[in-house]
Amino acid sequence: MTYHSHSPTAHCSNRRAFLGAGMGFGALALGAMLQRDGWANGEANWSPPDGQPHFSPKVKNVIWLFMVGGTSHLESFDHKPALNRYAGMSIAETPHHDVLNPKFLEENVRTLAPDLRKVLAKLYPLQVGFRRRGQSGIEVSDWWPHVGGCIDDIAVVRSMWTNDIDHGAQLQFHTGRNTLDGYFPTIGSWIHYGLGSLNDDLPQFVVLGRPLADCCGGNEGHRASYLGPQHDGVPLTVDPKNPLPFASPGAGVFRQEQRGEVELLRKLNRLTAEEHPHDAALQARIKSYELAFRMQTAVPEVFRLEQETKATERLYGIDQSATKSFGQMCLSARRLAERGVRFVQVYHGSNGGAGGWDAHSNLKSNHSKNCAAVDKPIAGLLKDLKRRGMLDETLVVWATEFGRSPGGEGKTGRDHHPFGFSIWMAGGGIKGGTVHGATDELGFLAVEDRHYVTDVHATVLNQLGLDSRKLEVPGRKRLDIDHGKAIKEILA
Amino acid sequence: MFRPLAVFLAVTASAAQLSAAEPVDYVRQIKPILRERCYACHGPLKTQQDLRLDTARRMKTGGDSGPAITPGKSAESLLIEKVTEADEEDRMPPEGKPLSAEQIELLRRWIDEGAKAAVDEPAPDPREHWAFRLPVKVADVATGKNPIDALLGTEMRKRGLRPLGSAAPQVVLRRIHLDLAGLPPTREQLRAFLKDSSDDAYRKVVDELLASPRHGERWGRHWMDVWRYSDWSGYKNEIRNSQRHIWRWRDWIIESLNEDKPYDRMIVEMLAGDEVAPTDPNVLRATGFLGRNWYKFNRHVWLDNTVQHTAKAFLGLTFNCARCHDHKFDPISQKDYYRLRAFFEPHTTRTDRVPGQSDINKDGLPRVYDSDAKTATYLFIRGNDKKPDKEHPLSPAMPAVFGGKIDVQPVELPVEAFYPDLRKFVVDEMIGKARENLRKADVALAAAKKNDAKLGGKKLMRAVALAEQKIKSAGAALASIKARVAAEWAKYAEKENPQAKGLALAAGEAERQAAVEIATLAVLQSEHKLTDLNVPSKAKKDDKKHKAAVDKTKKALAAARKKLEAAQSAAKQPSEKYTALGKQYPRTSTGRRLALARWIANKENPLTARVAVNHIWMRHFGRPLVDSVFDFGTRAGEPRHRALLDWLAVEFMENNWSMKHLHRLIVTSAAYRRASADRDAAAANRKIDPDNHFLWRTSSRRLEAEAIRDSILHVAGRLDLAMGGPEIDQKLGQSSRRRSVYFRHAYEKQMKFLELFDGASVNECYRRSESIVPQQALALANSRLSFEQSRLLARKLAREAAKEKNESDAFITIAFEQVLSRSPSSQELQLCREFLTDQAARLADKKNLTTFSGKATAGTKPSADPKLRAKENLIHVLLNHNDFVTVR
Repeated sequence: MTYHSHSPTAHCSNRRAFLGAGMGFGALALGAMLQRDGWANGEANWSPPDGQPHFSPKVKNVIWLFMVGGTSHLESFDHKPALNRYAGMSIAETPHHDVLNPKFLEENVRTLAPDLRKVLAKLYPLQVGFRRRGQSGIEVSDWWPHVGGCIDDIAVVRSMWTNDIDHGAQLQFHTGRNTLDGYFPTIGSWIHYGLGSLNDDLPQFVVLGRPLADCCGGNEGHRASYLGPQHDGVPLTVDPKNPLPFASPGAGVFRQEQRGEVELLRKLNRLTAEEHPHDAALQARIKSYELAFRMQTAVPEVFRLEQETKATERLYGIDQSATKSFGQMCLSARRLAERGVRFVQVYHGSNGGAGGWDAHSNLKSNHSKNCAAVDKPIAGLLKDLKRRGMLDETLVVWATEFGRSPGGEGKTGRDHHPFGFSIWMAGGGIKGGTVHGATDELGFLAVEDRHYVTDVHATVLNQLGLDSRKLEVPGRKRLDIDHGKAIKEILA
Repeated sequence: MFRPLAVFLAVTASAAQLSAAEPVDYVRQIKPILRERCYACHGPLKTQQDLRLDTARRMKTGGDSGPAITPGKSAESLLIEKVTEADEEDRMPPEGKPLSAEQIELLRRWIDEGAKAAVDEPAPDPREHWAFRLPVKVADVATGKNPIDALLGTEMRKRGLRPLGSAAPQVVLRRIHLDLAGLPPTREQLRAFLKDSSDDAYRKVVDELLASPRHGERWGRHWMDVWRYSDWSGYKNEIRNSQRHIWRWRDWIIESLNEDKPYDRMIVEMLAGDEVAPTDPNVLRATGFLGRNWYKFNRHVWLDNTVQHTAKAFLGLTFNCARCHDHKFDPISQKDYYRLRAFFEPHTTRTDRVPGQSDINKDGLPRVYDSDAKTATYLFIRGNDKKPDKEHPLSPAMPAVFGGKIDVQPVELPVEAFYPDLRKFVVDEMIGKARENLRKADVALAAAKKNDAKLGGKKLMRAVALAEQKIKSAGAALASIKARVAAEWAKYAEKENPQAKGLALAAGEAERQAAVEIATLAVLQSEHKLTDLNVPSKAKKDDKKHKAAVDKTKKALAAARKKLEAAQSAAKQPSEKYTALGKQYPRTSTGRRLALARWIANKENPLTARVAVNHIWMRHFGRPLVDSVFDFGTRAGEPRHRALLDWLAVEFMENNWSMKHLHRLIVTSAAYRRASADRDAAAANRKIDPDNHFLWRTSSRRLEAEAIRDSILHVAGRLDLAMGGPEIDQKLGQSSRRRSVYFRHAYEKQMKFLELFDGASVNECYRRSESIVPQQALALANSRLSFEQSRLLARKLAREAAKEKNESDAFITIAFEQVLSRSPSSQELQLCREFLTDQAARLADKKNLTTFSGKATAGTKPSADPKLRAKENLIHVLLNHNDFVTVR
């Protein structure tokens, strides 16, 4: 075990200490004010989270791997031989024509698209073979041999649905809301908001990989919306040579000198905060300054990947060009989790547009290449966590904004498909070797144990010991669907 | 011109319709009522109580309170109950007048007749989408009041919100300076403003700022975001994207804003400057908007970017969605996408010479022109450029739903446009260069003759002979260029010059004569070289290299002689043929882009003004009126402040599309000047409108990246105010003192400091994000820029404070005024006093000090005097203060 020794309890007191530290005469007043105004609307019986879990947590950290653009469930974790059988036929011609039930579409598809049903076209055969893997014998496609090798540690959920037929679904997967509704706190920010820090020298919500493009949520994909910017994810660059720009003031400055400045800065900013108790940005900036000075040394250390053995590097595929980049991200994610970072959001395929997995054409070359880039690193991460004894306390989530259509697009691609698709989870408290939920024979609709994206959020929060209802902020009414329901069936 | 979009207004219920015995027509009679009064809250975009009234089926399914209608039983239908409710509190619709008796009767009858509607009820008609209908000014804006305040006031009163009063003068002053000029006020400006008690003190400041060249730089950067400014990028010296010297477009943006060029004119110049002012280099610069999309490897990507961003920037439409398929939300078919592309199909880029530089790699004017009117535009099947639908070539057009007329008229170009090397300055420079060559040859001959003391006999003769031949050849070259210029001018610039033929013959002769002289010179040079090689020299005689040189020269001489013979024989044949002065381009431009530009920059276009007003509003208030700033399509719900947006859009157009008019209107509103301080502020307001949607206070926000960097230099008194010119290497961002807008900004060539503060993404940046990450703290704390400028400023202020009685307090006070544009509070003063004492003591205690590792930042070093160094530290802290990067 290489966890830092900080316990959540210790951290709560840190948080308190932080609020009080060096505040001089302003401290009490500010504290009282924060309390009084409750950061929102002066609700009498409300106070912000104390950083403690609401019930006994199963895990300490989450590594959230998100494939941007929409990974085909049909060529990954949801084998549908019927697609080969009926290839070339329209859905209406198959015995499974009832999947086009318009009532379902009406209820679940939030779009103004008049020609939604035109999108489907003819069934497109599977572009890759499947085989049974592990003791559990779960079928995984041949594009995922390494992840397939870990299937006994994985629970696959094959019955996901979401309701944006376009890539706004990326944002939706993180906030639980259709982009038409606007911006909402993301899952990482809820965790940041709800739980105390495990390491005061590092941000507790880190984003690796290029953030989402503006089309699809942009930075809102890792932001905190009304929870306040201090709960936003902090993007870090996996660049062992230059992990943090402006990391040090250099030899021209004395450590004692900087400390004196930091102290004064904190006091001055706190005085200003008394004038502006509702200024969330100011609160966030105060915190980000505190963190910044500690990060000066802590962050470069995280990305010193050369500290790892060659064997570990190989495990993540860092020794090979195809897997190097994502391998470094996965390894960095482990190092961050190891150092107590609560939530590491890792993007693959973000390309400034719809995303690298968006295979409207040439699905075969697109997905085989993308899978080859991530399969080994992800499996490496799972194996590495396991051998270090970290897998029990780390929840790994693999997700994508939607699947891809059973019907072919053009001659070589598949369209977006939010009506039924797969995700998986592994690690802390997850029942490995499980399949949960199902789509119909064509992989079109999630038909059995259907789960909306917030059920994934609920599961993650559940494993961290958080109850999303207890995190609610007065004046920010959340709907039932925002809270979701933990997917108990995949929990050990 | 544009056809009215308000089709449905014609079909509201009338008594005549009521009396008809025939069944009620849902589409014709019911939908219009619901659309006008109910959809806003019970439609696809906003579904209150989970109830939608936009389809009959949804009405039957109902919402939280059950079905809205029970077919056949109007008396049991909730819809009727709600619209006829006697209690005003509960009656629907909640705003405006109740439904008329006729309207209610229609609804009743329709329900009683079974609530019949087509099963596949069509989606809402996009023509009725709010943004696709022309904006109008609502009538009920009280005169004498700023219309912004009148309109916001109405909304606030409705909700019981009570706006905060005006912010303190120093807060407003800093706000307006940063907003309009991107720089905080100087201490002198601050003091002058606080002293000025006249009524129009604020207005004077606004006028000064709008007239300041700093304004164009500040807002130029905003529009560079929207218009996707990018310097060239590529691998080493190979350009892959955008254009060399595209900074000229940046300068055009800044100058245009400073002179308040009407926005409609700006659009025309950017899209079709070459057609509307083909010989005006100042206007041609504007076409950098198009040239910026140039992409080396793929014409389709280039044109796709052009289509996509023209539509997003000016129209707020996502045409790009329709590249592969019909737009899923908006009335833009896949064909429409390619029809928009057709406007750009003929155009390409080129670089024209600019005065003083004949090498266009060193300087030049990048611009666009129509090079090819013939290439047809085809729809690419599923967006695949390998599969053009060649059966159906598409001509330029815009979807009819947006109204307006496209009128493509070819533009005849003047000679200077299609033949840029015939422009006067180019010709002058060519002739000047030939003349200069001749002058040099004259000088060389004089020098050769002078040399006779040193060199004797044959060698001197040779040098003189060579120099004389050089004069001949330079003279002939000058004559040739002059003759060719005269002939070309007669041929292209003048209609039917009777001397044209004669001039052409003369040009031909002069050029061939020049060729003879040049060939003669070459022969002479080779002969001399051979003679030199044959001078007996022991060292060289047997040298292989020497032999090779002799052979080579002999060959060259033979070739030169042959060339001379050819030139001589050519010179005997009279001919009108001669070499042109440079490249010629088509004499006609298709006029397509001009037609498009005029369609966009048009008062009859429902989108253009609204989109621009929204961008401007967002940059004044930190939040737009329409959230999706580049998408005003049907997915953009009707904005909360639509009346305001529309009022401003019409106002903008009525005032000749003057941005400064709009800026002035906005910043002189009470809404703009409200306080943000909210310690004791309206808890009630906060409850009603926690997100400040109704602008009852000012939401504070962070400065943009450029403004942060510029402000650091500005408060230190070190900002270099030089304007314009070639882009500055982004690596100099920490040491150069120029404004940030002038630095190179391209793919992989961005200033790190700006990037960290959410600087513009090069690819597209219709709206900046405003993150708060620790990396920003490090950039402000550890950069050379902040160290150096705080040291310099501290020394300056220390000198000033030294004259005062209480030096320390004086220093702190002027430091606050200089950096944060306000005086310190007594608590702040106390803290800083203590800091100066403690920090100086700490710094004097040398044996207990340890430095950080790593290289010290370059530039000004810290003071050796602990007391002064403590002052430097204080300034450094203030540059890192939350309020330095915040606009309150």
